[in-house]
Amino acid sequence: MTPMPMPRVLLGPQRPTVNLAEAIRAADIAEGPVALISAGWQEAEGDIADVQDAVGLSLEDLGLYRRAESLLSADPTLAASYRARQDRLIEQQRLYRLRLKPLAQAARAVWRWQGDTDMIAAEKRHAIAQLRALDRHHLNRTESIHRESDLQYPAESNDRLQQHIAEIRDVLSRCRAVILTGGNVAVLLNRARLFDIGRLIAHLPVIGWSAGAMVLAERIVLFHDRTPQGRREAEVLGTGLGLARGCIVLPDAAHRLRGGDRPRIATFSRRFAPDNCYTLDSGSMLRLDASEIVAAQSVRRLHNDGRLVPVLPR
Amino acid sequence: MNQALQDLFSSGTPAAGDVDAFLSSTQFPLVDGSDVTFVFRGAADEVFLRCFISGLDAAQPFQALGESDLWVTTIELPRGSRIEYKFEVVRNGHRELITDPLNGVLAKDPFGANSVCQGYGYERPVWTLEQEHVRRGSLEEMSVQSTAFGDTRSVRIYVPARFRRNRRYPLLVAHDGSDYLHYSSLKTVLDNLIHALEIPAMIVALTDSPDRLTEYAGDERHAVFLADELLPAVAERYPLVDEPRSRGLLGASFGGVASLHAAWRSPGLFGRLLLQSGSYAFSDIGRHQRGAIFDPVVSFMNDFYAQPGRPSDRIYVSCGIYESLIYENRSLVPRLQAQGIDVRFEEARDAHNWENWRDRLRNGLSWLFPGPLWMVYD
Repeated sequence: MTPMPMPRVLLGPQRPTVNLAEAIRAADIAEGPVALISAGWQEAEGDIADVQDAVGLSLEDLGLYRRAESLLSADPTLAASYRARQDRLIEQQRLYRLRLKPLAQAARAVWRWQGDTDMIAAEKRHAIAQLRALDRHHLNRTESIHRESDLQYPAESNDRLQQHIAEIRDVLSRCRAVILTGGNVAVLLNRARLFDIGRLIAHLPVIGWSAGAMVLAERIVLFHDRTPQGRREAEVLGTGLGLARGCIVLPDAAHRLRGGDRPRIATFSRRFAPDNCYTLDSGSMLRLDASEIVAAQSVRRLHNDGRLVPVLPR
Repeated sequence: MNQALQDLFSSGTPAAGDVDAFLSSTQFPLVDGSDVTFVFRGAADEVFLRCFISGLDAAQPFQALGESDLWVTTIELPRGSRIEYKFEVVRNGHRELITDPLNGVLAKDPFGANSVCQGYGYERPVWTLEQEHVRRGSLEEMSVQSTAFGDTRSVRIYVPARFRRNRRYPLLVAHDGSDYLHYSSLKTVLDNLIHALEIPAMIVALTDSPDRLTEYAGDERHAVFLADELLPAVAERYPLVDEPRSRGLLGASFGGVASLHAAWRSPGLFGRLLLQSGSYAFSDIGRHQRGAIFDPVVSFMNDFYAQPGRPSDRIYVSCGIYESLIYENRSLVPRLQAQGIDVRFEEARDAHNWENWRDRLRNGLSWLFPGPLWMVYD
């Protein structure tokens, strides 16, 4: 018998609108305890009074950030391998960025070009194909770095790490669901990966907001059009936990994304197809069962023609 | 003439009480689009506006209005400009430089204070102002024994809020650190930009010189002090990221020269430079015209232009367009770019002063040291 798909609820920022309680109901979570992952908050991990008030169920923070800090400070070998992996990932991201910028600029220039529509259409397709190829290559490279590092320092052979994973598994065995908060998406992803969280929580309903929603997807895409230096090209950070399939999550898009820039939205949408790119602003909610949308509230999808279109459940 | 002044004088010279009422109910200087009218009231033989702007006459004369004791002068100031000025009042052959008695907005600097005229469209950036909700870093003191200078130097260290020993931080070394703190609100700016995630939490070493016109003018001792004495001392005490891209120098005016010189003497050490209104005097032919104090600067800059090398990987250069140094700064940029250096150049409608340098800090710092804003999705 095929197991029932577990609900995945993706939310936008919990300020100013808090819709966590609504998400709990949407995911059919009637009682606690609920496991919380607030590692994205780094040193502020576990500062969960506001979440507790919003959820109204007992919460147990898994303490991934604190566990990682303690683990790495107690185990110099693991710390060195972890640092080496991070250094390689950072370097890979820099190399990717070097190549991405001219490709993305060229794609947008083609999009704005006026002239023979057939000729331009062919160039548009090729420009997007180049971007997609680079994104794919980057994703492959980051996965290779992880694989090589995992082979060199197998997690299974590290007793302290396995002890933490066992403790986390034990907490999760008592919990009815998992909530992932926002915060630093790279920190959250790294900690989740270190403790094999994707596998440990796959059987539970999961709610994530902002960075927490991003890491649930199969691919994590960084974006910000309004940094002090202006727009940056959207970048693939790496593979997410893969618990919310078929979507790219764009939290706080009302502030971070230039939604009126149609060439940008069009190239964004086509670049990450067949995944759909969804905006998640404060008050937004997207519920998926497997990769099927079963509920959507104040969510917009980036359309291939450059518009942001409201999402309706299928 | 400004309309309000015209109205005041529409029926001839106004009574003293009417002038009093006008002055107390009006904000000065009078800004009408790009026209700015300065007003002085008092007995004088002559009054001049001195606004330290390259391109304008050094002293703009005021005119007395009717039989009153009001003096006025109007200049044209492009949108978004900010200038500093004083009044020169001549009485019985004596000349006195004073701040504008009708304008309470002052910019302080090591030499005192100037009045500030904020032209049409200028607004002080909010990130330069203290904000209640922002976590504040702290200032610590340390001493560095200097063989190069043969003395001991006091250095203040900006330590970011939520500092953790088990983290590693970028390092920025600021020249004229005390002046940056006092006159450019550097600590507030750092607190705000770190809080907004626009720059990473960083350590900033605030250095000062007892003789900046000598030590910052391409002085070998200063370059040695920074590279061989200050850096190791700070690295021993604070956890720093040990790579050039996370190590920078900041300086304005002669501090800009000192930053460029120190980076040039130790290529590959300082990967980031933030240079503001640097005094990069040089001579292509003949002698320079800037006075003897610039002789060592010219010597260094001529050497630098002869063999620029690659002092840094990324350099932010800013200068006010009302500064005489705009020529030297514009000349520097293509020479740096020709070395394959990533350069960003910003011109401001401002002059050679600490508030100009304050207002450029966000662009410079966030470009040289991008913060985790990109990674944080709350």
